[in-house]
Amino acid sequence: MAEVRLVDIEKRYGNFLAVPQQSLTIEDGEFLVLLGPSGCGKTTTMRMIAGLEEITSGDIQIAGERINDKPPKDRDIAMVFQNYGLYPHMTVRQNIEYPLKLRGVDKAARTKRVQEMADKVELGALLDRRPSELSGGQRQRVALARAIVRTPKIFLMDEPLSNLDAKLRVTMRAELKHLHHELGVTTVYVTHDQMEAMTLASRVAVMREGRIVQLDTPKKIYAEPANLFVAGFIGSPSMNLVDGAVRNGMFRAEGIEVPVSLADREGVVIGIRPEELEIAGDASASINGKLYALELTGDSTLVTLRSGQTMLCARGPADFEAPIDAPCHLTPKPGARIHLFDRASGQRLDGTRH
Amino acid sequence: MNKHFTRWGERALLVLISVVVLFPIAWMFLTAFKQPRDAYSLSLNFVPTLQNFVTVFSDPWNLGSMVMNSVTVATVTVLIAVPCASLAAYSFSRFCVRGRKFLFFLILSTQFIPAVVIVLPFFLMFRSLELLDTRTALIIVNLAIVTPFVIWMIKGFIDAIPTDSEEAAMIDGASRFRVIKDIVLPMAAPGILTSSIFCFILTWNEFLFALILSRRDAVTLPVGLVSFRTERGDLWELMSAAGVMITVPIFVMALLIQKHFTRGMTAGAVK
Repeated sequence: MAEVRLVDIEKRYGNFLAVPQQSLTIEDGEFLVLLGPSGCGKTTTMRMIAGLEEITSGDIQIAGERINDKPPKDRDIAMVFQNYGLYPHMTVRQNIEYPLKLRGVDKAARTKRVQEMADKVELGALLDRRPSELSGGQRQRVALARAIVRTPKIFLMDEPLSNLDAKLRVTMRAELKHLHHELGVTTVYVTHDQMEAMTLASRVAVMREGRIVQLDTPKKIYAEPANLFVAGFIGSPSMNLVDGAVRNGMFRAEGIEVPVSLADREGVVIGIRPEELEIAGDASASINGKLYALELTGDSTLVTLRSGQTMLCARGPADFEAPIDAPCHLTPKPGARIHLFDRASGQRLDGTRH
Repeated sequence: MNKHFTRWGERALLVLISVVVLFPIAWMFLTAFKQPRDAYSLSLNFVPTLQNFVTVFSDPWNLGSMVMNSVTVATVTVLIAVPCASLAAYSFSRFCVRGRKFLFFLILSTQFIPAVVIVLPFFLMFRSLELLDTRTALIIVNLAIVTPFVIWMIKGFIDAIPTDSEEAAMIDGASRFRVIKDIVLPMAAPGILTSSIFCFILTWNEFLFALILSRRDAVTLPVGLVSFRTERGDLWELMSAAGVMITVPIFVMALLIQKHFTRGMTAGAVK
């Protein structure tokens, strides 16, 4: 167990700046998720911690020790790879045993430990198979068992669930969360899936173009996105974002009027989550337009409304029905969180409640 | 109907090509078992004999010593070239060294030079070193010919192995050499074996340098064949018997290579 500190780290590939200078501290025992679209530098950041990429400048410390120049094998970390990184020529047993073997653990202790780990991830019966004879989920478990077979200071997980089917992903997610709770090892987890980030993380670092744009608890990131990028990235369906202006305490755009507590200002973007909009009965509502689409998701219906050039989405009751192109009205629920952003900088302006 | 026809056409073509390619080899095999008086006849009706094989292994031909020379030169060349080339190929494949592309090109470019151009300098060099007509000279020359080729070949196989497993091993606590030993070599084994056999065949068949650099003691099989052109004429039946001795090991290897070549192509990491 250990705290990880990235101090002013920077990564360049020739002239290309992959990760601009920044610092990040990962607390002891924390589950930190690096979240962002592909190519945002999250995997590079993780690989720098692992020692698989050199850092161009800055320092990496694990448990207070500077480890910049240490090879991966001396960093006392374990990693789960997106493609699992299993050893195809070894059996499941040999795969899980390998880290112990490298550390000179004696045969009897190894066998015992491998059996324990295999049982923990429910692979006990498959120990003598080769990875090619396993399903995706089973391979994932082998990779996991190999990572936890010795107790490292840090776990690194690089999109470990992205090759699994949707159902298995949800199951494995819960298992990962439970495992972290049980072992309490500092974990860094890379994903582009905001749902994984929200469900697993103690804290989420949202990254964009190599930079961490917001670092906070999942709750805070959802409730108070720091900028337009985070607002649009977190949440499914994503937050409705509409360009407009604030006049006399009222945000105005075509077909939209929402009272806000902000001084008059041009170039404002309003953000309202679909789950914080409700369907209103008449034209006195805040948002007026025509019904564009209805999508039943099971527990609710996603109502898409078109107002001028803008599309807005609301989460309505499952039994809501109306003909397409019929006039439709939406209004923020009482107590709904209205987010306001500056168009030019994308930064959050003071938010307000309706 | 049309499809049926095409399939038969393909088969006929394959048979035709096989016949054209295999005929000289088959004829050599037949001749090896013929008596001298049958050697020039086109008839398949002859009494087979093993006498030719007895003759080529006894004085004055002494094919045995040539077999030893060929086996030694080819084996030692493979044993030196393949480990060196594997490490070089791994480095070319995995490390971002400055000028890597240029170096790789440089290594390949040695293959562009016609052998005839360098055979004389080699001859003079080995004469000064007093290595003429030794197996050592042939091994050195063959290493120079074969190593770039093997590096190039093995690099292809290593390139095809995803780096995930290697990185996993490094994180699990393996040093770079341990990674190569435990992960890369087992995964690249079919490719390395294929390259070794290829390397062996190249060396086994090498003619020009062996011809120029050997005289009596270090003569290899391909060069030895020439000695069956005597003042009494070409001794075809003996030449064929010697030809069989050269060909059979390569046939066996080709069979091995075929099995492992497909494995080498289809193996790889688990995704």
